[in-house]
Formats: sequence, structure tokens, C-alpha cells
Amino acid sequence: MTIQIQTIIPTYFTPASSEGWSKVFSLKSGQKYLVKAASGSGKSSFFNFLYGLNNKFTGAIQFDGKDILSYTEPEWTQLRRKKISIVFQGLRLFPELTALENIQLKNQLTAHKTEAEILAYMKRLDVDQLAHKQAETLSYGQQQRVAIVRALCQPFELLLLDEPFSHIDDVQIANATSLILEEVSQRNATLVIASLGNSYNIDYTKTLLL
Amino acid sequence: MISDLLHKQIRFSQLLFFALTSSLGLGILLVVFQLFVDTQSLFGSSNDLLGNQTVIISKAIGKDNAFTEEEIETLKQQDFVKKVGSFTNGTYRVQGSVSLLGMGGMSTDMFLESVSDRFIDVQDENWKWSPESRRVPVIIPKNYIDLYNYGFAPGAGLPQINQKVISQIPIKLSLTGSSKRKMYDAYILATSEKINTILVPKSFLEYTNQVLSPDIEVKISRVIMEVTNPSDPKLLDFFEKNNYQYFQSELLSSRISYFLQLVLAIVLGIGILITALSITLVITNINLLILKNKQTICQLYFLGFSRKQIASVYHKISYKILGVSICIALILVVICKFIFAPFLTILQTESSAFSLIYVFIVAIVLFVVLALYYTKHTNKKIAQMTAVNTSLLTTEI
Repeated sequence: MTIQIQTIIPTYFTPASSEGWSKVFSLKSGQKYLVKAASGSGKSSFFNFLYGLNNKFTGAIQFDGKDILSYTEPEWTQLRRKKISIVFQGLRLFPELTALENIQLKNQLTAHKTEAEILAYMKRLDVDQLAHKQAETLSYGQQQRVAIVRALCQPFELLLLDEPFSHIDDVQIANATSLILEEVSQRNATLVIASLGNSYNIDYTKTLLL
Repeated sequence: MISDLLHKQIRFSQLLFFALTSSLGLGILLVVFQLFVDTQSLFGSSNDLLGNQTVIISKAIGKDNAFTEEEIETLKQQDFVKKVGSFTNGTYRVQGSVSLLGMGGMSTDMFLESVSDRFIDVQDENWKWSPESRRVPVIIPKNYIDLYNYGFAPGAGLPQINQKVISQIPIKLSLTGSSKRKMYDAYILATSEKINTILVPKSFLEYTNQVLSPDIEVKISRVIMEVTNPSDPKLLDFFEKNNYQYFQSELLSSRISYFLQLVLAIVLGIGILITALSITLVITNINLLILKNKQTICQLYFLGFSRKQIASVYHKISYKILGVSICIALILVVICKFIFAPFLTILQTESSAFSLIYVFIVAIVLFVVLALYYTKHTNKKIAQMTAVNTSLLTTEI
């Protein structure tokens, strides 16, 4: 999926001039992008625009030439099931469900992975022993890893990660990035990571400074 | 799993409250409806006590007290009058004689009148006459039988008679008109509690008037009217102004009937009001259930669950509760039916199980209508909650 960004600016705050706002650029399949900026520059807004949660912007975003404002509610639902996956900055796990249930909830929409595959992913991020613990009892770093596994348990052409490793130690970041990169290259997907500064040793096609 | 997740926030006590308010409203509505169906026969035409609100009027006694065509037309145009019928009488002298086997005979002068069939409280297929008919059916006031049984018969040493016997008494009518005299065989078909005269079929009266006294004009002596409320002051004013006379006793029962109808209407109104309130409560309850799960609903939606999938969890809850409420309401209806039955018997209505069938049909209709309404409302709420730009996430910059 090619994403065309045409001079978008949020309407509810005025961002400083940057490589992202008010510019024309595109995000291409199989490419990796880093969106780097200080807190409050609009990284999450940019992700919310791409994920269809917020349309308070001027300019246009197109997926394969189609303006995203023209998508209907059922079309967005399909996009979120099959084409775009996200790790929210706030994670948005269900605290009352276990780690595994949180992942299965997403996975059951498309039955993309088997439980064994999910557990294998959890093992790689060292959260497999927490599979049956309630999400609210996990540390934020552990929750972040669960949220990453959840994001991988669906088909996608665009993977949005909003400060996904902020509370994870370097060893686990390395595990997580290798898993993410494997998945992204397997699917020839577009990867967009938002970060406050750290680039996590990933070889990006382009870094956008917001 | 989504259903389990959304149920986690819902407390049993809340669902119980939901079910109670719903049962209360539906129960009252169905009970009142059932009462309404059961008491309908009270106001129907077949009931003498409160049925057919009729008034018979005549003009003050004088030389010419017949009603003219214009006067009848004026009556018809009054908005408190539903139907107008006129009494016509025979334009000939009538002599009736009865001969009871072994008990000699009796003979008396009498009169005959007729009125439109729809005002007669007797429904019988033999109530008709044509020139080929062998006998003429006659309807007499029930009072006459009572007068005979309790007044005349004991003194004259004659046996008392009942409805069955009475129809077997052969009557000979001798009609003497201005140009002809004719004899007819007649029999008493039935007695009437409502109409205080000796009635023959309209066709008979028209025929005999024509044949026996072709030169005498047929006059309308009295007028019978079906009215909405015989105690209506407008109606009484109208009578007063035109010098029409009416029977006071008729107005008394009509007042009772009017009062009863008013009470029933008030009860039905209160029932509808309570039901409307309970539906509002149920809707508030649904809103609460949805609001409590606002965060979960939004997150599910953003994960890729459709509004339809999320809403269906709430639909199932409301259908189940609605179903249970309707069942409770129906049980209430059956219980109330047994409680009301003795009272309704006093009021001379036939309290049959038939009204329950109506109640069941209404219950099914209510279920469908309310289920559709709740479904629509839930869908709307969830759409509002998950609308673009209103999410919990847009607060993240």
C-alpha cells in the first residue's frame, strides 16, 4: 500500500515547520520510516490521522490514491482488521483480560495466528510466562511487549508503532525489533515508528523530523 | 470473548432493575389492555345495561305531534347524534285476540309500531316478514310479560308464562283500515327491555299501511337516536329548545356508562404514561450499560471490531430482558384476569379466555416494536461513542 501525504496540518494546534507537516511525501511498501520529534509535536496525531481516529486536518492523505476521508465506517473496520495495525502510545490493552486473551481478542478477528504461534512470539519477547496473568498486573514494559505481539497478530500492510519501546530494556528492544522487522519484511509492509529520539538500531529508509 | 469482556462491567443488580422497570411498564399496559378488551362487551350493542346509548324522544302532546322530514334531517346533523331512526305506526285499527286451548279467549284493542332493525335489541333470523309469510313476528316489551305474570295472571286465575311458552301462543290480528279489513296470524318472537312498544317488522307495517289505508299519510310519531353521551348538556339543551320529550330513566344508566368509560380511559391513560416512563427508564438503563463500557467499546472498535459486533452484545442483553419482562407481564395479566373475573361477572360481561389471545398478540407486537426501538437506540449510542474525533485516543497528540 502506498500512502500519499499531501500538505497535512492539524487544525487544532499549529505545529512548527517540519519535514512532516505541510509537506508532500509518500510512505511506500517495504520501507521503514522513523518519525522523530519532541513530546507534543503531533506524533500521535499523525498516527491517529493515518488510523482514521481523527480527521481534524487540512490537506489530504491517500491510501493507494484513495482519499481516506472517503472511507466509510465498515471500510475502516476492514482496514483495521486487514491492512493497518497499530501499537498505541497508551497501549489500550484490556486490564481485565489476561495477556493472552488480549492478543487472542485481536487475533480472532482474522484467525491469523495459532495459539502456538502467539505463545512463540510471546516467548521471543519474554512475556510467555505472563500469558495467563491479567494485563493490569503487568508492568508497563511487559504490557508494551504484549501490545507489540497483539499488533503482529493480524494481516497488515502498514504497521504503526507509537513510542513502542519507551519502557523496555535494550535486550528486549533488540528482541522486539528483530521480530517486528521479520514480520514487516515477510509481508512487505510499511513500518512507521514514532520515537522521541532513539532510533533503536533500525535501518530506516527515511527519518521524518516533526 | 467480546461478549464476556463487555459483560464484566455489567452488574446483576443493574440488569434486575432493568428487568423490573420493563416488567412494570409492560405489565400495567397489558393488564389495562386486557381489562379494556374484557369490558368492551359492556359497551357493545348487545348489552342492555351500558350498551347502545339510545334516547327516544317525542313531541309534547298536542294536535300534531308528528316529526317532519326537516326535523329528522336537523337531528341527523347534530354532532352528538350518531344514528337516527323513526317509529312509524299503523294507520289502522288493530284488534288482537288470543285463544288458549281450554281456557277461552281474550281480545283487546292494540296498536303496532315499527322501527329500523338496528335499534332493536333482539337479533333473530325470524325477524322478517313478506306478504308470503304465514305468520307475523311481534316483539313486545318485557314489562308486559311481567305485568301479566305478577299482576294479571294471579288475579284472573290464569297460569304464569315464560319466554318459551309465550312464542307458542297463537295471536290473531284483525286490522281495519280506511278501505279494507284483513286478518293475520301472529306470534310473539321475543321481548325487548329497551323498546317500550309493540313492534312488527318494518316491511309488514309499510305493506299493511299501503294496502289497508292507502289514503292516510304515515307519520313519524317518535324518534330513536343513538348518541355519544345522552347526558351531554348540548343534547339536553337541544331537546329543551325544540320542546322534545325524553325518558329520564334512560339518562341515568347512560351516566353510569359514561362515567365507567371515563374511568377506563383514565386508567388506560395512566397505564400508557407509566409505560412511557418505564420505557424511558429502560433507555436510560441501556445508556448506562453502554456508558459504563465506554472505554472498552472504543478500544474494541479501534482494534477492528465493527459497531455491529459490539452492538449485538447489547442487543442480546436487551432482547433477553425484554423477553423475561414480557413473560412476567403476561403472568401478571393472567393473575389479574382471575382477580377481575368475579367483578366482571357482576357487570354482566362475558369474561372469556379469548381476551388473552388478544393480549398475547399485543405482547408479541410490543416485543417486536420495543426490540426494534432498543436496537436502533443502541446502534445510535454506539455510533455516537465511536464516531471519528470523539474517541478517547484523539486526546493524544
